[in-house]
Amino acid sequence: MRTGLTLASAGASEWLFCATSVCALAPASAFAVDYLSAEQAAKLMFPDAESFDSRQIKLDSSQMQQLDSQGVQARSARWVVRTAQRGKTPLGFVVIDEVIGKFELITYAVGLGLDGAVKQVEILSYRESHGQEIRLPAWRKQFVGKTSASPIHVGDDIANISGATLSCKHVSDGVKRVVTVVDLARKNGALQ
Amino acid sequence: MNQSRLVAPTLKFLVAANLALLISSAGAQTPAGEDLARKVDQLGDELTKVKEQLKQMQDEKAAGAATSAPASSATASASSVSPNEPATILFSYGEINYNRPTKHTEDTQVDLRRFVLGLQHRFDEKNKLVTEIEVEHAVSSADDPGEVEIEQAYVEHALNQTWSARGGLFLIPAGLLNERHEPTAYYGVERNFVETAIIPTTWREGGVEIVGNFDNGLTLQTGFATGFDLNKWDATSTEGLESPLGSIHQELALAKGHDISVFGALNWRGIPGLQLGASVFTGGATQGQATTDSRVTLWDLHARWTPGRWDLAALYARGSISNTAELNQPLVGNPTLIPESFDGWYAQAAYKLWEHQEYALTPFVRWEQFNTARSYADLGTGLTPEAAKTERVITVGANFQVSPGIVLKADVQRFRENDDANRFDLGLGWSF
Repeated sequence: MRTGLTLASAGASEWLFCATSVCALAPASAFAVDYLSAEQAAKLMFPDAESFDSRQIKLDSSQMQQLDSQGVQARSARWVVRTAQRGKTPLGFVVIDEVIGKFELITYAVGLGLDGAVKQVEILSYRESHGQEIRLPAWRKQFVGKTSASPIHVGDDIANISGATLSCKHVSDGVKRVVTVVDLARKNGALQ
Repeated sequence: MNQSRLVAPTLKFLVAANLALLISSAGAQTPAGEDLARKVDQLGDELTKVKEQLKQMQDEKAAGAATSAPASSATASASSVSPNEPATILFSYGEINYNRPTKHTEDTQVDLRRFVLGLQHRFDEKNKLVTEIEVEHAVSSADDPGEVEIEQAYVEHALNQTWSARGGLFLIPAGLLNERHEPTAYYGVERNFVETAIIPTTWREGGVEIVGNFDNGLTLQTGFATGFDLNKWDATSTEGLESPLGSIHQELALAKGHDISVFGALNWRGIPGLQLGASVFTGGATQGQATTDSRVTLWDLHARWTPGRWDLAALYARGSISNTAELNQPLVGNPTLIPESFDGWYAQAAYKLWEHQEYALTPFVRWEQFNTARSYADLGTGLTPEAAKTERVITVGANFQVSPGIVLKADVQRFRENDDANRFDLGLGWSF
C-alpha cells in the first residue's frame, strides 16, 4: 500500500473546509488571555513572507502508526500547515496547535525552516492561573534548531519551569508532534 | 449539519428533474441518439459531482463532531479544529498515606489524608471562579477526626496581558509548596516540615491580590488579606509547638477582620529551570480584642533549579510575633507559650533515575532543620520558657510516577531530636 500524504482536492468543498479551519485556527477568543493572533505569529516568525498558503494534510492509518512508533501521538489525522512564501519561493512552515496545560488550553505556534528544524515557538493564548512563565523568550528559545531527531523532552533537552511542569511538558510534547508531522509531510512531498 | 440536510433533497430534486428531462426528451423523439447519450453523460457527471459534495460535507460534519468533544486528555491536540473549551472544569487531587513509626509500630496508621474536589468556572474571557473543597481523614462528623474545608474560593479577573486581580479566599504566595501542594508536585509521602510547621501549608486567607507576570521572568504577587488571630492561642495544647501559625490561622471561617495583613511575593524564572524567590506576610494578630497589639510576620527565601534530570531546591523561612511578653504574662504556667520567633530551612535533591514512556522513578534526599520556638520574649528569671531544640530530619525516598497524574511514594524519615518519630512511609497520590 502506498504511503503518501493526501492533499485535499482544490474543489469548492476544500474552500469550505479551509474557511472552517481558518476560523478554528484563530485563537479561541473566549476564555483566554490572547497574546498573538495566528496571523501575527506567522508574520512574526517569517517577516519576509508575502503570503501564507494553508495546506491541509491528512495522515492515513499507516502514518499514524509510524508516528506512534516514534513515540509521538499524532492525535489528529488532519493538520493544517501554512507555508510562508515570498513570491513563489517558500521560506518555511507555520503550524498552530493547542494542548492542555494543567486544566486549560494553551494555543501556540511553531515556525519551522524548510529543513524542518524549529525556527521559533510563540505562545498565542494562555488561560491558566499559574505557569504563564512558559511565555518567557528564554524558555521558548530552547526549541530553536530542534528537529524530529531531537528528544524535545522536558528533563533532557528542554529545561522545566518550576511551578509550570505540566504546561512545559505538554507544550514540549506538542512541539515534538508538530515537528514530526511536518517532517513526515516534507519527506512525502506534501508540502512542495 | 444543516448543509447535508439541504444537499440531500437538492440531490433528489436534481435526479427527478433530470429524469423528467430525459423522459421528455426521449418522448419528443426530436434529438438523435447521440444527443440523448450526451445528455445522459452530462446527467451522470452532475450526479457524481453532487454525490462528492455530499460525501465531503458529511465527512466534515463527522470530523467536526469528533474534534469538538471536550479535550479530556492532557495531551489532546487540536491542530486543525479547535475543540470547544468547557466553561466549567472539574479537577481533583488526593493522597492516601501509610505511616509506620519504626520504634512504635503499634501507632501505624493508614489515612486518606485528603481528598480535594475543585471546580473552575469561566464566566467569560476575563473572569473566572476557582474553588476547592477538601475532606481530610475520610470521614467528618462529631465523632470522627475528619474535617471539611473550603480551600480556595476566589474570582480572578484579567486586567490585561500582564496583570490580573483576585478576590476571595486564595492561597498565600509563600515558599515553594503552598500554592502548589498537590501530591504529584512534591517529593516524599508527607509535605516537608518547614513548609508545614513554619509556613502553615495549605495556608489561605481572604482578601484581594494582584498578580503581574513580566516578560523579564519576574512574577509579582501582592495584596491585602485577613491575618492571624492570637486570641485563639491555646496554651494548654501542644498544637502551637507543632505549628505556631497553623494553630492561629483563621481560614476565613468567621475570620476576625479588625487587623488586615499585607503580603507580597517576588519570583524570578528568567533562566529556564531556575526559580529564585522571596515572600513576606505581615499584619496585626490581636484583632483589637487584647490590650496589647501584636504583629505576626513571616518571610521566606527560596530557590529551585532543575538542570536536566536533577531537581534541586532550598528554602529558608522565619516567623516572628511581637509583644509576646505581654501576651504571655497571663499564660505563665501553661505548657505552650507564644514564641517570639520560629524558623527552619531545608535542602533537597532529586534525580530522575529511570524513565519509560510515562513511568518515571525519581529518588530524592531532603535535609531539614526547623525550630517552632526559636526564642521566647523575656518574662523574668524562672518564668521565661527555654527555646525549643532544633529538630533535624533526613528524608530518603523515591517518587514513582505511574502517569503524570498518579504517583506512588516511599520514604524513610530519621529525626535527630525526637527519634521516636522515626518512620517508614508509603503513599498514593493523584492530581488532575
